[in-house]
Amino acid sequence: MNPENRAIRIGNVLRADIRGFVAASRIPEPEVPTFGTFVRAPIQQGQSQLIGLVYDISMQDDQFLRHLAVTLEEDNPAHQEIIADQRERAIPVEISVAAIGYQDSHGYHYGLPPQPPMILKKIAVCQPAEVKQITAHPEWIRALLENREVPADELIVRAIQRSAELHAEEKQTYLITAGRYLAQQLGHEPLRLATLLQRMAGQE
Amino acid sequence: MLQLAELKDEIRALKRATIARQRRRELETSAALDWLADAPDAPTLRQSVKQQGDPQESYALPATDDKPLNQRFQPPGPPPRGTTVVAVDGSQIRPDRHAAILYYLLQVGGMIFSYDGQAPRTQSESSLHFKPSELYDERSQIITGQLGQRRTVSELEYLAQLTAQARSAGAPSPLLALTDGPLLWPYSGRSEEETRQLLPAYFAALDSLQQSNGMPVGFVERPGGRQLVNLLRLTRPHAGAAADSAAQSSSDWLTDRELLTHFLQPGERSIWFQRASAMNQRHARRGHAIWFSYLNVGTETWPVIARLETPSWAAQHATWNKTLHQVLLHQARVLHGHPYVLARAHELALVTHQDQAALNNLLQQQLAAAGIMVHASVKAEQKAYFGRK
Repeated sequence: MNPENRAIRIGNVLRADIRGFVAASRIPEPEVPTFGTFVRAPIQQGQSQLIGLVYDISMQDDQFLRHLAVTLEEDNPAHQEIIADQRERAIPVEISVAAIGYQDSHGYHYGLPPQPPMILKKIAVCQPAEVKQITAHPEWIRALLENREVPADELIVRAIQRSAELHAEEKQTYLITAGRYLAQQLGHEPLRLATLLQRMAGQE
Repeated sequence: MLQLAELKDEIRALKRATIARQRRRELETSAALDWLADAPDAPTLRQSVKQQGDPQESYALPATDDKPLNQRFQPPGPPPRGTTVVAVDGSQIRPDRHAAILYYLLQVGGMIFSYDGQAPRTQSESSLHFKPSELYDERSQIITGQLGQRRTVSELEYLAQLTAQARSAGAPSPLLALTDGPLLWPYSGRSEEETRQLLPAYFAALDSLQQSNGMPVGFVERPGGRQLVNLLRLTRPHAGAAADSAAQSSSDWLTDRELLTHFLQPGERSIWFQRASAMNQRHARRGHAIWFSYLNVGTETWPVIARLETPSWAAQHATWNKTLHQVLLHQARVLHGHPYVLARAHELALVTHQDQAALNNLLQQQLAAAGIMVHASVKAEQKAYFGRK
């Protein structure tokens, strides 16, 4: 089952700033969100929800794992149980998220949130209906276009492609609207725009 | 702060002593290997110990008469699919009279590892002890050594519990039950607490392991002791090139581990031995006499000798012995000589400094909420400060 089909809690905020945050997670491999997954975390004492996109997932190691890594072989049947144990062992996965907006009682607001989430706040994967609402207006892309600290273009393409599937009945219109928005925003960066549009069309 | 320059002369002396000891060891090893190759049969050895043995010394006698002293069991191949091994370890927070709150904590962790392609099952348990009767001994002193004894009992009880659990879940025989350290009660056995509570509980856990048809095994890495060497010296007191050296006191002689590093090839296991110590006789009276064997779990370039301890009733099963040998070689291979299950059990049992700080904070918060303010001593605060540097 796609993790986006459930409001699954995936970890706690470790560190954060206004552009995004990093969460620590100990969830097993199948539950780890993928690149471009929409997630949310409570901000402003739970009055609002920060919305962001997963742009990096890093597995941490430790001395014990390093010691084992030189002897274990994934395809060796004699190591099956130990590798399975290490994958379930409490080694944290760090999930990095770029902020794209926030939701409060008035609805969705795009751009950077008023404050980052506090440490140890729980983050959860957005449900498909929520993602559909968030992406109903192409403004959600703006904060990513301006974020130079993440692989923004890859992230934008992946997120547009995934969210387009949720706008199934008007997918073509959705993609055209997103393309027009990018053209407006990147008028001064024609090469970047061309690359983005090619990737969206699956030509690269 | 350590002033290394002030230790210069002692470091040089240590180096000289180590070189001299190394030369002596080479002579002793060569002689002991010859004696082992020509060792008499088990009844003759038993007779030698009876007639000439020093009552102050301990001797490793062959546990059965049918195997020569120098027999080596070859590596038997990988463990059969479905074999299950349970492992436990423990750790503690010691009671500290300088701490804000006087308590101690025991934690045991364990793993049930089945060769079935699935991830092993892990679990742990903690217990907090704060009653005066638990913290003070009969002389009103805060307990120190007793904590290790209580932890040893907790570990074996937990091993019995997990073994019964694995058995109920359908683990086939042989079902191995590993603990880190000796299985023979490693304390004097003379204190009142040991006599009245701890040893009966320890033997009850061994009873329970026997009822589960498990094979309890103590895995002793880098074992001390020279019971086998003592036996060899007894049989050949004046023979060979090491005669002069042999005349020295036994405490300065070759250890069994040093000898077996040269005798056992990687993967080889020795025969089972038994020793007639007072504690082992106590075990025997409860039906759990401990036998031991040596196993080389290392490689050609890095031999690692481990001592295995198990009750005689378990050691007498040939198939159990073979499975034990298979499992330990497999488990130790991935961690260069230390069984993986024991390493994981240790990790699961470990109480880190961060865990201890979190527990102390929680306890202080709970007491503060009840209007009770407690503080660590100034000395403890200072030590914590220097410890962090």
